[in-house]
Amino acid sequence: MKVTFPHLGTMHIFCKAIAETAQIPYVVPPETSRKTLTLGVLHSNESICLPFKIILGNFIEALQMGADTIVMVGSGPPCRLGLYDLVQKAILEDMGLHYRWLTIPPRLTLQAIWKNYKETKELKKELSWKNILLFPYGLRMGWKKMMACEALEKLAMKVRPREVKKGETQKHLKKALSGVDEARTLRTLNDALQKGKAILQMTGQDFSRIPLKIAIVGELYTVMDPHINRGVEQKLGELGAEVTRTSWFSTHILRSLRKNKADQNSERIRFFEASKAYLGYDVGAECNLSIGEAIVRSKEGYDGVVHLMPFACMPETTASGILTRVGKDWDIPILTLILDEQEIEGRIQTLLEAFVEMLQWKRKAA
Amino acid sequence: MEEKGRIGIPRSLMFYRYFPLWKVFFEELGWRVIVSDGLGKRGKIIYFEDSCLPMKLLVTHSINLRGKVDHLFVPRLVSLHRSYIMCPKFRGAPDIVRLATEGTVSILDETIDLRTREHSMLRSFLKTGKRLGADEKEGKRAFQKAERFFINFQKGWENRINVLSSKDLFQFDIPTSSEKNISPPPRPRQGEAEGELAGEDKREGGYGRLYSPPPLPAPRLRQAGSPSPVKGGGKDIGETSMRVAFIGHPYNLFDTDVNKDILSFAKNLGMRIITPDSLSEKEIDAQVSDLSKEIYWSSGREIVGSLFHFLSGGVDGAIFLTSFKCGIDALLQEFIRRRLKLKGGTSIPLLVLSLDEHSGREGLTTRLEAFKDVIEERKRN
Repeated sequence: MKVTFPHLGTMHIFCKAIAETAQIPYVVPPETSRKTLTLGVLHSNESICLPFKIILGNFIEALQMGADTIVMVGSGPPCRLGLYDLVQKAILEDMGLHYRWLTIPPRLTLQAIWKNYKETKELKKELSWKNILLFPYGLRMGWKKMMACEALEKLAMKVRPREVKKGETQKHLKKALSGVDEARTLRTLNDALQKGKAILQMTGQDFSRIPLKIAIVGELYTVMDPHINRGVEQKLGELGAEVTRTSWFSTHILRSLRKNKADQNSERIRFFEASKAYLGYDVGAECNLSIGEAIVRSKEGYDGVVHLMPFACMPETTASGILTRVGKDWDIPILTLILDEQEIEGRIQTLLEAFVEMLQWKRKAA
Repeated sequence: MEEKGRIGIPRSLMFYRYFPLWKVFFEELGWRVIVSDGLGKRGKIIYFEDSCLPMKLLVTHSINLRGKVDHLFVPRLVSLHRSYIMCPKFRGAPDIVRLATEGTVSILDETIDLRTREHSMLRSFLKTGKRLGADEKEGKRAFQKAERFFINFQKGWENRINVLSSKDLFQFDIPTSSEKNISPPPRPRQGEAEGELAGEDKREGGYGRLYSPPPLPAPRLRQAGSPSPVKGGGKDIGETSMRVAFIGHPYNLFDTDVNKDILSFAKNLGMRIITPDSLSEKEIDAQVSDLSKEIYWSSGREIVGSLFHFLSGGVDGAIFLTSFKCGIDALLQEFIRRRLKLKGGTSIPLLVLSLDEHSGREGLTTRLEAFKDVIEERKRN
């Protein structure tokens, strides 16, 4: 058995940690590239959302590298993400690839257990008692690594707009993340985290700058994965803007576990409440939160909002329509970027440059 | 009865299934129902958001009605089935309309969510009735009449599609209130008794009865004054003609602004049109219940289920109408294609037509003619 999982931001680092600690053989799909995307596009149709194509590409590449078991996080209605597995299974089967599929249900319901029963039973045969015993430890390791990655990324977002030499932060971030990736025990992980933070702080910074404050909102895949959004976060940072986002793995995992409801979700609840002036119902996925966050950020004095969504994303299409009005009402510039498989990196760069410049004028005028 | 005011219903989205229900309900409460005009030949679509064509048409039609009506009826359709939901775009539709009309018109946007008991169809309509100043009794009576009429309307639906031209599909007469007075006196009492029964029904069933017609006395459905026959309807649409299943969301099938009136063209080619409406829920379920995951959109389920049902026999061809950018259709289309291939294909021809505001009638007719040739060729062999 060889387990594989899709790429999403730094997800491969902690998925790998779980498998490694539990001593389950795994295959990390090759880094998302043009080829991954081409494979995904080739085997799906034009109006399917971009995350679907990229995940499919990841799976095809991983299966070709010898993986045989796909682990995928499921989701519920009303967004299309909840049916990814159904359609991707049909596609892979039609392509003649052999795989087994394990969906981690977003909520443990009877139906979810029933539909996964066969696969789980089969997998259990291949796992030794050692794997099972080590699994909780693996989960703990994975969680710690995830938190370490997020801490480093958050720090990089702060450092980037003040860097003197363009691109230095990104280089340091990569180094710091690979340090976390290589850590094998909890103690070495802690060391790697401290070391990573130190590396990032070593970046030459100009503290006299007052960077623009921009919030990134939108569909979670496009917000979290730099391959899907063509590095919007990094680009904005290098243009001199301090970027914030609220979509992190920890937020989404805690949300689906319904843990720390009062504490962790307070921000999400705040956004949701704010969106009620425009939306009378929970549209699903991140739609309401995108709108709410834009309003809240405007109140908090942010300079602008970048809204990311895949082409033809159902909930975010509604959000983008409403956000044009939110921007007018709350006097906050909102840039919506619709992403698909087109080679649009250059265009995004130009758009972001213009956006940042506009924000700077606006700030000077105020 | 004196007219209390005007209610505007945009000619878009679920209008194409539930209009009879809505119309009877509001007229029973003494309101006049105004429906927006079609786009016509030179109609301009108003782009408020970058959505699918049917959604853009909702905004366009709503703006068209602005100033002509007292209230706009744009219900928030979360779910029209006891366990499956609608596309997420429907959830934000009233808000989009509110922003697009800039708050100049009052919008009746009660939520309809048949998954929860308290939001069942009746309750939602009672709330709407309340906003219009009707008490619960009036609302209940109006809704029951509307529901009965609607169920009967649905029964005659397939015949209507094949006999009437597309623009007359939703032209119908409702038994007038004067006639109601003539009707035998037991009726109101009977209605009340039914009302209680229906209430019980709902508490147990937990959802409106639109999918399981109750054993109510059949009302007389009166055909529109003089149904204009289909152009070139002289052709014999009988046993010998081709039976072609048209599958898709109701607004793709029946909105002539979306599909350029492909149905009447199909009828002129001698096709007999069959829609998923003719299938029971059981028949649809039988096709999709063995999937590794439930398809949770009711419309998507209907599309996949009916397509597999029709492709396993009973029709000469199937046509799947989809709007460009429709998220549900895009995903399921891929699924249908792959699953068909895995099942060893089908001998029944399938045509997928993707529609948007740029599709021209000529392109569609060419493909339809070619499709007809395929069917005929297959029949000959």
